[in-house]
Amino acid sequence: MRDWQQYVREHLGSSGLGRAEGEDIAGELAGHLEECYEAFQVQGLTEDEAFLRTCEQTGNWSELRREVVLARQEGMMADRVKQLWIPSLLSLLISWTILALILWVGMRPLIWHQGPPWSVIVYVPWLMLLPFVGAAGAYFSRRAQWTGWRVYFAGAFPALAMACVILMILPFSFIVDPKVVPGLRFASMAAATVSWVVLPGVALCIGVALQGMGKKAFR
Amino acid sequence: MIRTEFKRGTAELAVLSVLEEGPLHGYEIGRRIEEQSGGKLRYTLAALYPLLYRMEKRGWLRGDWETGETGKRRRCYRLLAQGRKVLKPMRAEWADLFRAMRRVGKVRHA
Repeated sequence: MRDWQQYVREHLGSSGLGRAEGEDIAGELAGHLEECYEAFQVQGLTEDEAFLRTCEQTGNWSELRREVVLARQEGMMADRVKQLWIPSLLSLLISWTILALILWVGMRPLIWHQGPPWSVIVYVPWLMLLPFVGAAGAYFSRRAQWTGWRVYFAGAFPALAMACVILMILPFSFIVDPKVVPGLRFASMAAATVSWVVLPGVALCIGVALQGMGKKAFR
Repeated sequence: MIRTEFKRGTAELAVLSVLEEGPLHGYEIGRRIEEQSGGKLRYTLAALYPLLYRMEKRGWLRGDWETGETGKRRRCYRLLAQGRKVLKPMRAEWADLFRAMRRVGKVRHA
């Protein structure tokens, strides 16, 4: 009895796929070769002849390995766009549209002032609506079969984008205005982080979690 | 036997068409195509499986592990609604191609 699984593993080698995925593919190909081999034997071929004919069915192993990896990656790229980037950009777009509308209407923010550089600015209506934005991002991501931290990434993306903006602004602030004491600069950055990253991030994550709980309750 | 370059483009239609008749595992798909084409279309594993994985990723078909009557586990492929949807225009496209080739290439029915 030939071990086709072993035969496939040896020829397929490390294909760059995950272990479970590689085993899955090896199992499937081994099953195919096993059936071929048995069919050739039923036709009256000797074991060696059947083995040779079965090996011919494979084609080029390096082509097979390359094509399998490409096929899987093609899907992965498409999945990543559908599951991660589209929901993330949607949540970003919705949250900024809401904020822009609030600013356009002229709503005043709630300012929590603790000395000159340390003032946390909160647009309360925006913050109240952010759980819905997070839930929308999570909904689109989960609908595309995404799970775990990636759903939170998609839902909380507006806050993550703001964190990136703040991180990019910090080094520039040293160049633009070098006279400002670093302590003050970091305090104002910390305040901005709380205003635009931490509080919105928490609100968005609440929305993601509630959407997940709601989905489970529906099942 | 038809050359590999010609066969490459035919595989999608061939796979979808045999799966339209019912769920099949990889070996059966290859065997049915070979049988129905009178032995003219024969795909190697290197041609068949990457295509099946691509079609699965596109949502045209779904592969599930099943245990057969012999107790062997095989990945069985089913045609999904999306696959059925693309099959019709694909057939029309192939019919157009055959018509065009008959005119341009002076190809006649055997």
